[in-house]
Amino acid sequence: MKTTRRILLAAMLLAPGLALGADKIILKMGDNLPDRTNGWGAVVERINAEFKAANPGVEIITESYPDQPYQEKMKIYATAKQQPDVFKYWSFSTLLKPMVDGRFVVPLEQATFAKYGYLPGALESNVYDGKLYGIPVSADLWVVYYNKKLFKDAGIDKVPATLEEVIALAPRFKAKGIVPMTTDGKDAWPLAITLDQLVWRLAGDSTLPRKALERKMKFTDPMFVKAATLIQQMVKAGLFQEDLGVSDYGASRNLFGQGKAAMYLMGSWELGLATDSSFSEEFRANVDAFKFPTVAGGKGRTDDLFAWYGGNYVVSSSSKNVELGKKYLEFYASRFPMLAWEKQAAFPAQKVTAQPKDTALAKTLLRIASEATATSGTAALDLSTPAFKEDLQNAVRELSSNLLSPEEFCAKVDAAAEKAARKR
Amino acid sequence: MRETFENRPLVACLVLPSVAVMLFAMLIPLGFSVYYSMTDWAGFGDYQFVGLENYRDILASDKVFWRALWNTALLMLVTIFVQNPIAFALAALLTNVSQRLSRILRTIYFVPAVLSLVIIAKMWVNIFNPTYGVLNKMLRDLGLQALAVSWLSNPNTAIWAVIFIIVWQGFGWALLFYYAGLMTVPRELQEAARVDGASWLQTYVRVVIPYLYPAIGAVIVIDVISSMKQMELIFLSTAGGPGQLTQFLGVYLYQKAFVSGEYGYGNALSVLFVAIAIGLTLLVRRAMPAARDAS
Amino acid sequence: MSATDGPVPPFSQRTLRLVLYALLVLFALMQLFPLVWVGVYSLQKSGDLFGSELLKLPSDPQWNNYVRAFRDGSVLQYALNSAFVVTVSTVISTVLSFCLAYAITRLQWRLKVVALAAITLGMVVPIHTTLLPNFIWFGFFGLIDSHWGLIIPYVAFTLSFNTLVYMGQFATIPRSIEEAALLDGASWPRILWRVIAPMTMPATMTVAVMTFLSNWNEFIMANTYLASDEKRTLPFSIIRFQGQYASDYAVQFACMVLVALPALLLYFLFSSRIMEGATAGAVKG
Repeated sequence: MKTTRRILLAAMLLAPGLALGADKIILKMGDNLPDRTNGWGAVVERINAEFKAANPGVEIITESYPDQPYQEKMKIYATAKQQPDVFKYWSFSTLLKPMVDGRFVVPLEQATFAKYGYLPGALESNVYDGKLYGIPVSADLWVVYYNKKLFKDAGIDKVPATLEEVIALAPRFKAKGIVPMTTDGKDAWPLAITLDQLVWRLAGDSTLPRKALERKMKFTDPMFVKAATLIQQMVKAGLFQEDLGVSDYGASRNLFGQGKAAMYLMGSWELGLATDSSFSEEFRANVDAFKFPTVAGGKGRTDDLFAWYGGNYVVSSSSKNVELGKKYLEFYASRFPMLAWEKQAAFPAQKVTAQPKDTALAKTLLRIASEATATSGTAALDLSTPAFKEDLQNAVRELSSNLLSPEEFCAKVDAAAEKAARKR
Repeated sequence: MRETFENRPLVACLVLPSVAVMLFAMLIPLGFSVYYSMTDWAGFGDYQFVGLENYRDILASDKVFWRALWNTALLMLVTIFVQNPIAFALAALLTNVSQRLSRILRTIYFVPAVLSLVIIAKMWVNIFNPTYGVLNKMLRDLGLQALAVSWLSNPNTAIWAVIFIIVWQGFGWALLFYYAGLMTVPRELQEAARVDGASWLQTYVRVVIPYLYPAIGAVIVIDVISSMKQMELIFLSTAGGPGQLTQFLGVYLYQKAFVSGEYGYGNALSVLFVAIAIGLTLLVRRAMPAARDAS
Repeated sequence: MSATDGPVPPFSQRTLRLVLYALLVLFALMQLFPLVWVGVYSLQKSGDLFGSELLKLPSDPQWNNYVRAFRDGSVLQYALNSAFVVTVSTVISTVLSFCLAYAITRLQWRLKVVALAAITLGMVVPIHTTLLPNFIWFGFFGLIDSHWGLIIPYVAFTLSFNTLVYMGQFATIPRSIEEAALLDGASWPRILWRVIAPMTMPATMTVAVMTFLSNWNEFIMANTYLASDEKRTLPFSIIRFQGQYASDYAVQFACMVLVALPALLLYFLFSSRIMEGATAGAVKG
């Protein structure tokens, strides 16, 4: 009797599981958006809900971590051949290229995605060896955010157009106890990007860093030295927060959002500043952006826009649901721009139309994007090996802490580039 | 009787489970690590065997490695010669207050050791903030403007600020060990010294401390090992900066293995780390004969 | 235990006594500060963390942060997982280290040196080195994304230290104890469990509490070896509130307080037992 009851119980417990197992396909996903109730994470949840409604029988399970732990986990998964079916990644050669080389991701049909209104150069940034390996999701423009009220309070009525003007503003803000400009100094990549931007502003040519990496020229070229000198000039003029070297992303962002800094050197993904409820109403009403300044005597123009397409989504080659994964990507491409723009969660890599309830900041960013006459593509730090990226970032930190002269900095970067070129 | 203490099945029962677990989760991966340290693997994808090249590069041309060792040495010295004596003195004070007060205070003193290192790091970064941190605020209020520097990003003060954070966090443990040790000192010993006319200080120096040599020795060994293993507090505050001046081996090997994509190199650093740590441990045990008795 | 168990300093001087008390209290305030700091900021709005005050007393306590921590941070589920993983690994580590320490200090066998070497090695291996190899190695046994896949390394990394603590404790117990028990005809399990173990209570308390505390806050291995949300441990709740760029700091702080509370409670409950046990040595010695 007892045995029969046991068998019946087991059958009852197993049956639903078996039924579910038979019908449900599980799509495993990964991303660097742990917060699912706000911002981009919330948008993805919405997209997933819509996809499940349109594809009954599909269950989506997502694993999320912050940036650094996420990258590590995805690499570990790659080694163990256990990557999620679809995951968010980056188009950079430091990250995507190793995946392509190791055949960890599947190629996609460029023609299929061309109809989703991608901005010029977006899909191309994900092409390696002539094939498309990921769909871009965000367009990253390098701009300067500023607080209109703090500018007004300091008696500044015009947005600075040249770097010299920006540096000249520093003492006026400092007199009021306000940090003139804040950026993430601990992670060094913002200043590394700014370095490339300054080289462009000086030389009028955005391909110099790429050429240096390909060893067609050296990083010790006068243009690079001049750009490094400008960065050190900015630091020495007290333009940035005093503890730049340990001020991490969140800290520097909060300095700006709390109204303690007048300008914020960052990318277009921060358009959510104007709708972030953890900041004051006054801040949100006064935050805007202006184009990165030109350098006096430089050949670069204001509308040379430093922009790239960083974030993307890829399909894993070890996935058992490759076709479903591709279908998901198409769905994502169709829904993401509108949903993200609505929530101001990201600056999409696809064309969006301005909405009446867009914030002033969002409108400015759209305008900056549309007025661009040339774009740069990815910065040097993400065009080579991860080791080069670390070496460059370490050198930038030393430069911004005044531990290296511009010449020494350039020599170090050049040595790192040489090492990376030999490895490839 | 002697055969009973040589009971082989008993020994096997007692020893094998532990050894099995350690082998499974620590020693086998360490073996993998030694293997990978002789390759140029990036962590995934293809790789090549490079023999001892990584080790050559580290020992001959990696300035950051030597800087990390230097910082570790500084940390050890501060821990052993500053943190330990202060912890000892406080523990001694605690043995002389009422039991209830002692218990309350001991619980409070251990609080930082219980909290996550993330909290400790975030808090001190905040306190050390040059513009808004309370330390500089106090210094300015006291008219000591010149001292109100950027503690964690100034090349001269950064390492000391980091060492301070680590030493501060470790107080609770040191206090715990020394208090437990002091509690084992027999009263008769001390009273005998007092009867002989020894002052309070002399009692401690001549009687109590020598009695506690084994305990002190054990604490020093732990200090040495934990100084080498420090990682989170540094990573979350300076991440080795400015300019690698506050770099420690635990952070450096993590950055090389997981961030720079130089997994083979990072593993070579790990193997050297283990070798150095073991070497230091043996050295300290040899230098403190009393400590040897304890283990 | 009276107030004069330790050496007696010249407390006859009242000022000296007051100064020393003041020092103790000052130190206590300094040690309590982080908890107060986290508590205060857990009740603020996220942006306030980078304000200019060291401690801003919440004029408008955001108790909602805790509600969000529970609701969106799955705190309850994670806490149950942590309770299971950490308790089991603490029990196993305590028992195994007791056995190993006993074998090393009280029994005669030839490979003792090897065991001691393993223990020393075990104390110095850095966790990060083992992450990737273990991920693959554990994978062969289906231990990835399972609680046992965490318990085993948690035990492994705490065994060395715990064994050393027990070894120190065993040194204070005279051989005559076992010899007497053996003469009485007791079996080994009985000797270990009924005779020796109770005498090593202080070490057991120390080992158990310390193992629990160090594994309670452990994050790196939990992050690497677990994947499904329903298996995650408590430190992960903080991650739930880290966005790609914007982070909700205040709620993260609320999570940190929730993570710290069980550990503090445990320590408070057991700290006196550790100390009281330790003095048993004094009575005997």
